[in-house]
Amino acid sequence: MQIIENLKVKEKLYIEKLENGLTVMIIPKPGSEKKYMIWGTNYGSNDNKFIVPGEEEITEVPNGVAHFLEHKLFEQENGSNSLDVLTALGVNANAYTTNDHTAYLFECTDNFYEAMDELMDYVQHPYFTNENVEKEKGIIGQEIRMYDDYPDWRVYLNVMQAMYHENPIKIDITGTIETIEKIDKEILYKCYKTFYNPSNMAIVIAGDFKPEDMLEEVKKRLVDKKTSGEIKRIYPKEEEKIVQKEIEQTLEVSQPLFIIGIKDIRKECALESKNEIVKKHISIEILLNLLLGKSSELYKKLYQEGIIYGSPSLDYEFGKNYAHVIIAGQSKEPKTLYKEFKQKVKELKEKGINEQDFNRMKKMIYGGYVKEYNEVQDIARMFLADYFKGINSFDYLEEIEGINVEYLNQVLNDVFKEDKMVISIVKN
Amino acid sequence: MKYQENEIKQGIKLHLIKTEKFKTNLMAIFLTTELNRQNVTKNALISSLLRRGSKNMPEQEEISKQMEEMYGAGFDCGLDKIGDNQVLKFYIESVNDNYLPNQEENILKQSIEKLLEIAFNPYTQNGGFKEEYLEQEKSNIKQRIEGKIDNKARYAQDRCVEEMYKNKPFGLYKFGYIEDLDKINAQELYEYYKNLIQNCKIDIFISGNIEEKTKKIIEENENIIKLQSRIPKYNIPKLEEKDMLKAENIVTESKEVSQGKLVVGLDILINDEKLKYDTLIYNSILGGSANSKMFQNVREKAHLAYVASSSYLRHKNNIFINCGIEIANYEKALELIKKQIEDMKNGNFTDEDIENSKKGIIATIKAIDDEQDTEIMYCFGQELAKAKVSLEEYIKQIERIEKQDIINIAKNIKINTIYFLKD
Repeated sequence: MQIIENLKVKEKLYIEKLENGLTVMIIPKPGSEKKYMIWGTNYGSNDNKFIVPGEEEITEVPNGVAHFLEHKLFEQENGSNSLDVLTALGVNANAYTTNDHTAYLFECTDNFYEAMDELMDYVQHPYFTNENVEKEKGIIGQEIRMYDDYPDWRVYLNVMQAMYHENPIKIDITGTIETIEKIDKEILYKCYKTFYNPSNMAIVIAGDFKPEDMLEEVKKRLVDKKTSGEIKRIYPKEEEKIVQKEIEQTLEVSQPLFIIGIKDIRKECALESKNEIVKKHISIEILLNLLLGKSSELYKKLYQEGIIYGSPSLDYEFGKNYAHVIIAGQSKEPKTLYKEFKQKVKELKEKGINEQDFNRMKKMIYGGYVKEYNEVQDIARMFLADYFKGINSFDYLEEIEGINVEYLNQVLNDVFKEDKMVISIVKN
Repeated sequence: MKYQENEIKQGIKLHLIKTEKFKTNLMAIFLTTELNRQNVTKNALISSLLRRGSKNMPEQEEISKQMEEMYGAGFDCGLDKIGDNQVLKFYIESVNDNYLPNQEENILKQSIEKLLEIAFNPYTQNGGFKEEYLEQEKSNIKQRIEGKIDNKARYAQDRCVEEMYKNKPFGLYKFGYIEDLDKINAQELYEYYKNLIQNCKIDIFISGNIEEKTKKIIEENENIIKLQSRIPKYNIPKLEEKDMLKAENIVTESKEVSQGKLVVGLDILINDEKLKYDTLIYNSILGGSANSKMFQNVREKAHLAYVASSSYLRHKNNIFINCGIEIANYEKALELIKKQIEDMKNGNFTDEDIENSKKGIIATIKAIDDEQDTEIMYCFGQELAKAKVSLEEYIKQIERIEKQDIINIAKNIKINTIYFLKD
């Protein structure tokens, strides 16, 4: 196994790509009672149009299939449900679907190997029937309804509508009541066969283990499956420009919720190396904190004027053919905040970045990354999510040093462009 | 973990948890005081005012800058309702020096000093809190109170508690009441605050890379020296009598929702603290896991819900059942929920259910010291209840439980309130 050590957080990553294409990553955590295993596939709600390896025709499936599969994979041919089996072992099992990956996981203190048997068994043995697929529609329907009542989810989905013309990032991960109605067992099997091939998947295990032994444990539970060829994913061409500047929805909320989005689809982005993406990501975090972080002038002003009463969350999200800045919060006057924010961006571009502020933010961001290494579940989930983006999570700790004011100024000018900004508001 | 408790002064305790599992040191200060209608809003305001500025860091901006300098020390204030107490919580989480480029920083010492300063040495003007801050924090608290409706599932849960504890301390909303805000002025509130910190129960927790000198840093801190010994005024959580004869209270409320939120609040009549362990297993079988009756019957078999669960509030001895359902399915879901409660009474569950629940709960207990905040809250819960139970003893208490014990709990359970939020 290849060993990658990070001296800053004093952790080691053991990584191996098996013959069938599966990537296995193990992060030993001596002294931890908790053990965590997660198995993910590079397949999420965005992957709705693709060419199955060996076929020529394009396959297009209804929205929500990846998430539907996540629900259904627990069902076993012998009538049991793997979630029940895992729970009965005293382990905490779960699964989730994102825009770009789906993952199955458990966390435990005891019965690790029994749980591993079950997890690896069910992920490799789908069992879909007309009946069990129909049944799930009721449950997922209630999950969709639940999200309908979350104003923070509505405001998020809307900001995607305002930024993206075609990219599937704008669709709901769960699909809608209408699209899930169209899902049947044939579609599920087809997507399973395409995307649950070992070459499209990765396992991360964190806990008090010997990595070499653990790798053998993984290998002996794998069913014989050959690497499939490349899955051609077809994403619509996405324009650099936004769809609309503003989007609003009415919902019963005490105060408007807002998200400012900045779309970052540029021709140059496609050419960036993974290291450059990490560097850009860190730089955007620094910039956002300089602009609207807790110690910023703007935050102080808005707080004193009663326009905000808590610090907005500041993020950069990116994946296949999408990338954007997200500033989310609650405000009495989101439009005033938006105007002031744009003004600050302009000022920062003109005045340039203060070296002292920059160094302080760098320290803060560094500390934030170190904190990610406290608990097995956070470590494993981070390594998996980053892996599917082609990134080794340790890179964040390393790349931060190389960022300087010039670089930051460049990112500020490239990314924070007024014509790429949108605002989504949910209010009464 | 190595846990050490030190009484610095009567009513002020320092709890040190020495552990090398984490990259961070976590410090928490808890001010515990009686929860009552008269003071609930004042306490909420104080919690939000203190983070605005201290004597040596008069502005929030300054505090934030210092935290950023300390490699992004995470500083936060919060409010909690534990039993019939209101707890003002202050946290600081900072990176352990071993993981910093410059290991001579002694970030832990700085963190301790900063947090003590924020909690016990606020910024004042003319013998009171700063007017400007007070006015801003009043509107901040007002917003938080109004913000109750933003998360409808959470709202339904809060409303069910309010209905069950009408005119009782636990029914109070932890952020207080809008109508109180106008009456509060900067001088009186500061007087109230001074009184609070001299009389409340104070617990200071530090988890992480603790050294010999850590205790000394606290003991010799000028803000700690200023505090007097006290017989702390707070309510020790205890088993309280429940009215088992009262009719079910059925409450229906309308808000803009696309999914109905059903919350069923249960009373548990037990007369022995030890039976809380039995109740924990009862809850796990009823709705505490994916194998539970709620999850299996309401979600998996009847497909009525995505969320179908229950949770045990041990300080108040209540169980809350939560379901998100189609509004039209209210009767159906309620009937099914009632059947699960009946089935528990009739012993319609297996030994396997019991064993599985035990395994799940024991795993949670074993994982307590793998999470810094969980460990602190576990120790704090015991501190409040004045009952120290080691993790080993806790596990033993879970292992001893048999089917009849759970049926005994089931027979002493009664629906208090059925709350339904619909459109």
